Amino acid sequence: MQCVEFDGLLTDALDGVLTGGQLDRFQAHSRSCSVCGPLFAEVGAGRSWLKDLTEVEPPAGLVTNILACTTGVDTQRLGVNVSAAQPRISWIAARWEGVQAWASGAMLPIWGTVRQPRFAMSFGMAFFSLSVALSVLGVKPADLRQISLRPTAIRHTYYNTQARVVRYYDNIKLVYEVQAAVRELKRNVAPAERPAGEAAPDKKDHKNDTTQQPEQKQDRNYSQNEGHLILACAPLGPSVFDQLSPDPVNPDLPVVSVTTYRRLV
Amino acid sequence: MLVRRCVAGDAAAWEEIVQTYNRRIYNICYRFAGSADDAQDLAQEVFIKMYRTLASYDSSKGAFVTWVTTITRNLLVDHFRKTKQDRITDSLDAATSAHEDALPLSEQIQDQSAPPDARVRSREVQEAVHAALAKLSPELREALILRDLQDFDYREIATVLKVPEGTVKSRINRGRAELARLMQRTYRQVM
Repeated sequence: MQCVEFDGLLTDALDGVLTGGQLDRFQAHSRSCSVCGPLFAEVGAGRSWLKDLTEVEPPAGLVTNILACTTGVDTQRLGVNVSAAQPRISWIAARWEGVQAWASGAMLPIWGTVRQPRFAMSFGMAFFSLSVALSVLGVKPADLRQISLRPTAIRHTYYNTQARVVRYYDNIKLVYEVQAAVRELKRNVAPAERPAGEAAPDKKDHKNDTTQQPEQKQDRNYSQNEGHLILACAPLGPSVFDQLSPDPVNPDLPVVSVTTYRRLV
Repeated sequence: MLVRRCVAGDAAAWEEIVQTYNRRIYNICYRFAGSADDAQDLAQEVFIKMYRTLASYDSSKGAFVTWVTTITRNLLVDHFRKTKQDRITDSLDAATSAHEDALPLSEQIQDQSAPPDARVRSREVQEAVHAALAKLSPELREALILRDLQDFDYREIATVLKVPEGTVKSRINRGRAELARLMQRTYRQVM
């Protein structure tokens, strides 16, 4: 017999279900094997130790406590059943009781969570913020109390609100038309009043310029092409050179090529 | 049938179930948890869970006692996982249960040398075995409790533990051998 087979038959041998040749081979291996023999003795000893253990008596109040715990649940469950078994006043009342029972069961954990101090503080802060916001906006609870929820009143309020919105947009449209007309008038009148002073309005316009385009003034000296020729000494007017030059009509001045680069600021 | 009556709302049937099984469940809890207080709490939890899930019991799948033991075992395993850290930090000076008159394990072992009479000796041996059982791993402990203390057969144990019968037998053998070694070590220290 191999040790693996011996291990598999260990419990059967201790339970006394091994018989015949299998029991003989088991016992022979137990005597001969230096590992399985002590193992068999240990397992037998452990079993006998455990057989010495007797049952302990449960505490006196265990059954009472169990019944109290479970019948507490039972009372609620039976309460629903009893109410369902009683003669019903109407099916609506019975349905309402069922909904109430379900809601109380479903809301119980939520209510337990909500009652925690941190959630209570959050709700308190939310209520405080809402009341402050309403008072700032001019909404008074007394006004809300006077709101009529009759269908005709609601319809009346709806039409009033709609008319108010339409009037508001009509007024806005009129204001825009008047503004456009005034602007047109100004545009037509302005060139006649200031024919020579074009620079001043340009300067003012730059303040309101939102095109994000660079100012023309900045490009004033840098807008010429690279190949543009500038005379080093041009006849700008009567000067000392005019007097010194022997032939002012044909001076034959040298031409200097100047390359200008855009200044990056 | 008792379960059907209970599911139908018969409170007397439920009380009968509690009266029938409270001793068995309490003993399983006590041997597994090692503490009388824990065992009482766990037994109550088992019955509460049983009460809530009684309608799910299917008699065609197994005996009611197997179903009850499965519930008990699952709850004990959950409890063991929750209190695993506490168990690691237990010392020999900790009292193992209320049934041992709150004596630490070290004192119980020392008292083995001079028992006043046979009754006390038997009680102390039982406490030592109980303490040794508590030192086994939960897999070996639950197999031993079900087999040697609750007299379940291997097939029932396999159903409760959800493992093959061969694994059950192997765990039982290992558990018994480990327990014997622990007891041997205990008495060697005393001597």
